[in-house]
Amino acid sequence: MNIAEFKRDVWGREVLLGVSWDLLWVIVALSFAFIALHAIGMAVLGRRGPKPSSDGPRVARHAAVDRAFHWIMAVSVFVLLVTGVLPIIGIEFAWLTIHWIAGLVLTVVVLFHIVRSLFWLDLKSMWIAPRDLKEPFDSSVKPGKYSLAQKSMHAAVTVLSLLVIGSGLVMFAMIDTPWWNRTNALSESTLGWVFFIHGLSTLLLIATISLHVYFGLRPEKLFYLRSMIKGWVSRDELEAHHDSSRWSAGESN
Amino acid sequence: MASFDVMPHIELYKPTELADALELADRLGPRGWLLGGGQDTYGWFKDRAKNAEAMIDLNGIEALHGIRETADGIEIGAATTLREIVRDPLLNERFAVLPAAAARVASPQIRNVGTLGGNLVQDTRCWYYRRGLACYRAGGNLCYADSPQGMNREHCVFGASRCVAVSPSDTATAMVALDATMVATSVDGERLIPAGRFFALPETHITRMTTLEPGEILTAVRLPARWAGKRFYFEKVADRDVWDFALVSIAAAFDLDGGNIGDARVVCGGVAAVPWRLREVERALRGRAPGADTGEAVAALATRGARPLNYNHFKLPLMENLVRRALREPA
Repeated sequence: MNIAEFKRDVWGREVLLGVSWDLLWVIVALSFAFIALHAIGMAVLGRRGPKPSSDGPRVARHAAVDRAFHWIMAVSVFVLLVTGVLPIIGIEFAWLTIHWIAGLVLTVVVLFHIVRSLFWLDLKSMWIAPRDLKEPFDSSVKPGKYSLAQKSMHAAVTVLSLLVIGSGLVMFAMIDTPWWNRTNALSESTLGWVFFIHGLSTLLLIATISLHVYFGLRPEKLFYLRSMIKGWVSRDELEAHHDSSRWSAGESN
Repeated sequence: MASFDVMPHIELYKPTELADALELADRLGPRGWLLGGGQDTYGWFKDRAKNAEAMIDLNGIEALHGIRETADGIEIGAATTLREIVRDPLLNERFAVLPAAAARVASPQIRNVGTLGGNLVQDTRCWYYRRGLACYRAGGNLCYADSPQGMNREHCVFGASRCVAVSPSDTATAMVALDATMVATSVDGERLIPAGRFFALPETHITRMTTLEPGEILTAVRLPARWAGKRFYFEKVADRDVWDFALVSIAAAFDLDGGNIGDARVVCGGVAAVPWRLREVERALRGRAPGADTGEAVAALATRGARPLNYNHFKLPLMENLVRRALREPA
């Protein structure tokens, strides 16, 4: 199986076309296998302790604006994946306009999030520090606001989103839009690399998002999903899963 | 690009029964190539711009030949030659726009062997694509025709989506004007496709011209009695009168009600990857009498929404003038 697709042009040269979409099925199969194995492993070996109560004092975890960002990004990524991947697997429809509109929405909200993170949020709370690496091996080490798994997920989504947005914007310049006519100014080989980066980051996003959705829906982590909808976790949940000395959370109404 | 004097090695199947052809088409899928008159086929293979493991020659299948009257109009087998269509008295009496369109295809020699099915499903004439460049239509990442240096005089003014190629079929415009139904047959049975949805825009199917799926064979075309005996017009403008593809063509059907147009189909070829219905013109014609004044009144509507490329702005006045002529001189 190839990672990339090539075509031999009329002069006999090999031209890079983009990622090999055979990898899509590999990614889907691997993601599904990991999820199935993890679910079985957790069902058999998972530690079952008392579930922290969601009642009692509430602690603010996500501001409304950050929750809005998360869900707008989620919807736009979902639309991008559906419109980008379905035609590749044979479900053909007029996808391009929907795709680039969703791509622009994603670009705008990600830019907004970057600016907000730099100036209004605690950027360090999402950075992976050396002590975070002890978490998986030492149950006494609790995370601050975000666990190592959450930080890793965020780092992966950040890198892949920036790659897919950057390459997507280059591709956007190559089509006609209401604001400009395409220039077709890039060479075949440059475009091949752009399509390769866009396709590969899309494939890795599919895997990453599959895991994100799976872990978001796991029973012991549902309170994180609730916090991304309603904005809060209970004091009991915070104490059970986080180190309050590393997360100066305020009480919420 | 290398040139070749001989055809590559290709297996040739010559089924005489439709069931055998369908089984072959199903088994070979995209590795097989359906052969009608061969007028579009041999160039592709000789230039090695397209390859197939095997050709399925449909000409020996009797069921695919002939023009038959049915309860609701006329059915034409897909392997019927263009010459037979041009000369058929029934078609000339009831659906004269189709023989008129078929008569303008290429040259007499080509019409003698070219089939209706082949003419309808033929690939675009964009020379960048036919030369074997890795353009969007060939599965690549760019369009050579729509670039600052691209030669796009013959390309589209409507319906572009990355690719700007046009359908070269003369009979396709007549099919859409007649509300024809295309019969696509596979081992799973028949699929009836209205002509308006048979041809594919690049926004949905950028690497093919029709919505035929691999394994499907266009076996027949059905012309509904609803348009039989109406007033028609066909005209094709090309650089040469013979053996050339349309720069712009027009096929029109007018259903007159007391001297005024009740319903109309006005379809242009050579302006999009599909036969392009001029729906605003059709709407504006309702209730008007055909004639020069009406043509003048509606002509500008023909090009509303057009997006010409660097070298094909001339297609816009050409379209408008063809609409004027269609209304001035319907048969």
